[in-house]
Amino acid sequence: MTTLPIERAYLPSGEVDNTDERPGERAELVLGHETFHQVTETVCRVTEARRPPLVWTLGFLFSLMLTGMLGAMVTYLIVTGVGVWGLNNPVAWAFDITNFVFWVGIGHAGTLISAILFLFRQKWRTAINRFAEAMTIFAVICAGLFPGIHIGRVWMAYYLFPLPNQMEMWPQFRSPLLWDVFAVSTYFTVSLLFWYVGMIPDLATLRDRATGRIRQIAYGLFALGWRGSHRHWHRYERAYLLLAALSTPLVLSVHSVVSFDFAVSQLPGWHTTIFPPYFVAGAIFSGFAMVVTLAVPARQLFGLKDIITIRHLENMNKVILVTGCMVGYAYAMEFFIAWYSGSMYEQFAFINRAFGQYWWAYWIMVSCNVLTPQLFWFRRIRTSIWGMFILSLFVNVGMWFERFVIIVTSLANDFLPSSWDHFTPTWVDSLTMLGAFGLFFTLFLLFCRYLPMIAMAEVKAIMPAAHADGHGGGDGHGGGERARVDPNARDGGKP
Amino acid sequence: MAHAARKADLSSTLADANIRLDGGVESIVRNAWIVGGVGIVAALAWAFLSGSGAERIGRVWIVTYSFVLSIALGGLFFTIVQHLTRAGWSVVVRRIAEAYAANLRWMWLLFAVPVLLLLVTGKFGYVFPWADLAHMREVHPDEATLVEKKTAYLNVPFFLLRSTAYLAIWAALGWFFWRRSTEQDADGGIAATERMQRWAPAGIILFGLSTTFAAFDWIMSLNPAWFSTIFGVYFFAASCTSAFAAMIVALVLLERRGKLVGVVTAEHFQDLGKLLFAFGIVFWAYIAFSQYMLIWYSNQPETTGWYIARQMGGWKWLSIALLFGHFVIPFLLLVSKHPKRYTTTLLFVAAWMLVFSWLDLYWLVMPQIPEGLATATSYRALAEENAGVSTRLADPLNWLALLGFVGLFVGSTLRTLAGHALIPVRDPRLAESLAFENM
Repeated sequence: MTTLPIERAYLPSGEVDNTDERPGERAELVLGHETFHQVTETVCRVTEARRPPLVWTLGFLFSLMLTGMLGAMVTYLIVTGVGVWGLNNPVAWAFDITNFVFWVGIGHAGTLISAILFLFRQKWRTAINRFAEAMTIFAVICAGLFPGIHIGRVWMAYYLFPLPNQMEMWPQFRSPLLWDVFAVSTYFTVSLLFWYVGMIPDLATLRDRATGRIRQIAYGLFALGWRGSHRHWHRYERAYLLLAALSTPLVLSVHSVVSFDFAVSQLPGWHTTIFPPYFVAGAIFSGFAMVVTLAVPARQLFGLKDIITIRHLENMNKVILVTGCMVGYAYAMEFFIAWYSGSMYEQFAFINRAFGQYWWAYWIMVSCNVLTPQLFWFRRIRTSIWGMFILSLFVNVGMWFERFVIIVTSLANDFLPSSWDHFTPTWVDSLTMLGAFGLFFTLFLLFCRYLPMIAMAEVKAIMPAAHADGHGGGDGHGGGERARVDPNARDGGKP
Repeated sequence: MAHAARKADLSSTLADANIRLDGGVESIVRNAWIVGGVGIVAALAWAFLSGSGAERIGRVWIVTYSFVLSIALGGLFFTIVQHLTRAGWSVVVRRIAEAYAANLRWMWLLFAVPVLLLLVTGKFGYVFPWADLAHMREVHPDEATLVEKKTAYLNVPFFLLRSTAYLAIWAALGWFFWRRSTEQDADGGIAATERMQRWAPAGIILFGLSTTFAAFDWIMSLNPAWFSTIFGVYFFAASCTSAFAAMIVALVLLERRGKLVGVVTAEHFQDLGKLLFAFGIVFWAYIAFSQYMLIWYSNQPETTGWYIARQMGGWKWLSIALLFGHFVIPFLLLVSKHPKRYTTTLLFVAAWMLVFSWLDLYWLVMPQIPEGLATATSYRALAEENAGVSTRLADPLNWLALLGFVGLFVGSTLRTLAGHALIPVRDPRLAESLAFENM
């Protein structure tokens, strides 16, 4: 048995609420598609359309412009030197590392969805995993840019890696900054592999449907000769499971290592033992917010509302609520233990955050990360398209400010009042930050246009039609009968 | 078809003989309670005869209490999360977790009575040094100046108030989920499931905050100058270890006695094994490593003392044993899917984890920060000076107290289960759970 979706007055037209689920029944995850072929059509249509939607073209041109600006800023930085940023003596890390941590965090939703939700058998992940994983790759690309350009002499960037050299100079292996190089590059490699391996059957679908020579060759090349034989599927499932198992510790390790960059120091506000799990929770929080920010317009623009349903969005909003509460818990622990420690430096660091020179940044962070996500307790807001879109933007803003608050407030007012200073971003700082968004959106829009945005093969596997022998539903009755309902009737067997 | 066959045996699968404890359980309950009572009396007798001071008795009590508490709290966590996520696979194993959590309705006694005894005899400050600042000023003047700043939080009335709140929250939550679930056995309505789902979010928040602060108050404050923001999470991870291991032990033993045949299958055992592996072994190690690595690396005198105490004398070996016994060895044993599906190996690993979870709590509670820490000239000198420090693991007081509390806990769990089915027989997702297969 499945709980049937309902059209609700408060939802925009075309939106169907499938968030209801009577205990003992399972809601349908794919709406309005009764056969596998319909799913293929819906997904492939996006890349096969002769022209992209106008909004896509405008968005792409705008993103490309921002990317160009990023290129100009980076060139200006390299040609002139890091003096073009607002860094000063105590605040030697500011926007660059804030952006780095922000973008690494954004990537985490993709890995969580593809790896951990896979191991937790969350079937709804199939509709969103592909573009969340794509987002991971692009976010890590943006993240990787910043440590590279922040080192000052970019032409020496290869010193980040332990390369044998005639001077026998090695990076400091005890420094978490070096662990970061390994953690992030491993993360990027595994994420890319996972994304690509998962995409092979869908690339083969695009290859088989391709009419032009270029498309046939391009998709054919990357489909690696996939024919969909049993042996191929067997190997594929094996590889997928192994990659999921490999990615799972990466979800924890990457942001834990990022947190070590701060937490191994002795600086109050940086050195606190909860940092590793707290950073991981924050990363998943911000990542899911970005997935919602992207999914809401994407499903609208490309006609994917029946695959990325309100239920999928609601589930993601629940994850945002849970991880938002974890982040709130971590803030509370930091504050409480700062007081409990009895150390004046710890206490000062936190009071200074809330009421010092960057008080506004702190309160933006608390409002966007802890207060506004509480609105997701209301189902009406969790299922409201505009509500979730706006709240997800708040989370994105809040999580950027979280990193800014942690990094800059702790550095600007450290142990010695005579060395205190104020960091003000220059125009180069601000435009570089904006430019990174341009790079991210450029890559993401290209992906939407040229690659299968939905994991078709995986979505098909969770449709009732895939379980005609009855393994699909809660009480052992799958959707065998439902699969034969008139495919044109939008809400099939609505009572 | 496989399904028709499955439907056909459902009546025998769900027969009372398969899903209810036999009458013989009454004698097991009685024996467990006798063991429990005798264990506690014997522990007290041994403590007085061997001249263990109030401090040692009090700390052994905290270790033992937090061990049984971690099983009950982990059971509560498991139960709440199943409702929070509307899980289907876990219905057939949930009743055991609910029964563990239902113990919270009386377990406050095991906390309240010793605390009252300590207060009445004036020995409370022997166990919780912050309660006797005058003594602390004499022995550890440096620490005392830090602890003095915390008196707004670390004082006896507020401690009692907070402890009462935690115990009341847990008793209420444990009882709530037990009652709703067993009521559903009788009326079969989905209203009970909906109610539990509605209260699960509030439940998990209350659980998280109360567990965190209980860990701060009852364990972290034993070294009142020391602090660690991750400590609440550490105790949560320890609860996962204890509870998932205890669930596996109970279910395998039931299976060995011919219960839940065809109900709890290799599929469910594999999933419980995964949970034990992920939360009880790997997540625990992650949290333990985070805490240790950051304190070691930063090397600040306020916080390193706590670990130095665990690196001296016999404690060093226990620390190493935890690294291997709580992480490396069980990780290797349980990483493959086969040992999770084969109940003999799973039972072995789960029992092993219970032992190490107790050792972990012993390691958290018992060590004393070395006297000479503040004046030591070098780490090596301090280590030599304290080379003879013993963990006193062999002290019968540990084992008698453990026997006592575990006896009461097991007896009470079985007593709670005896009147009801071993699974939520009319849970709306029971069929999904029975039919559940991995992949």
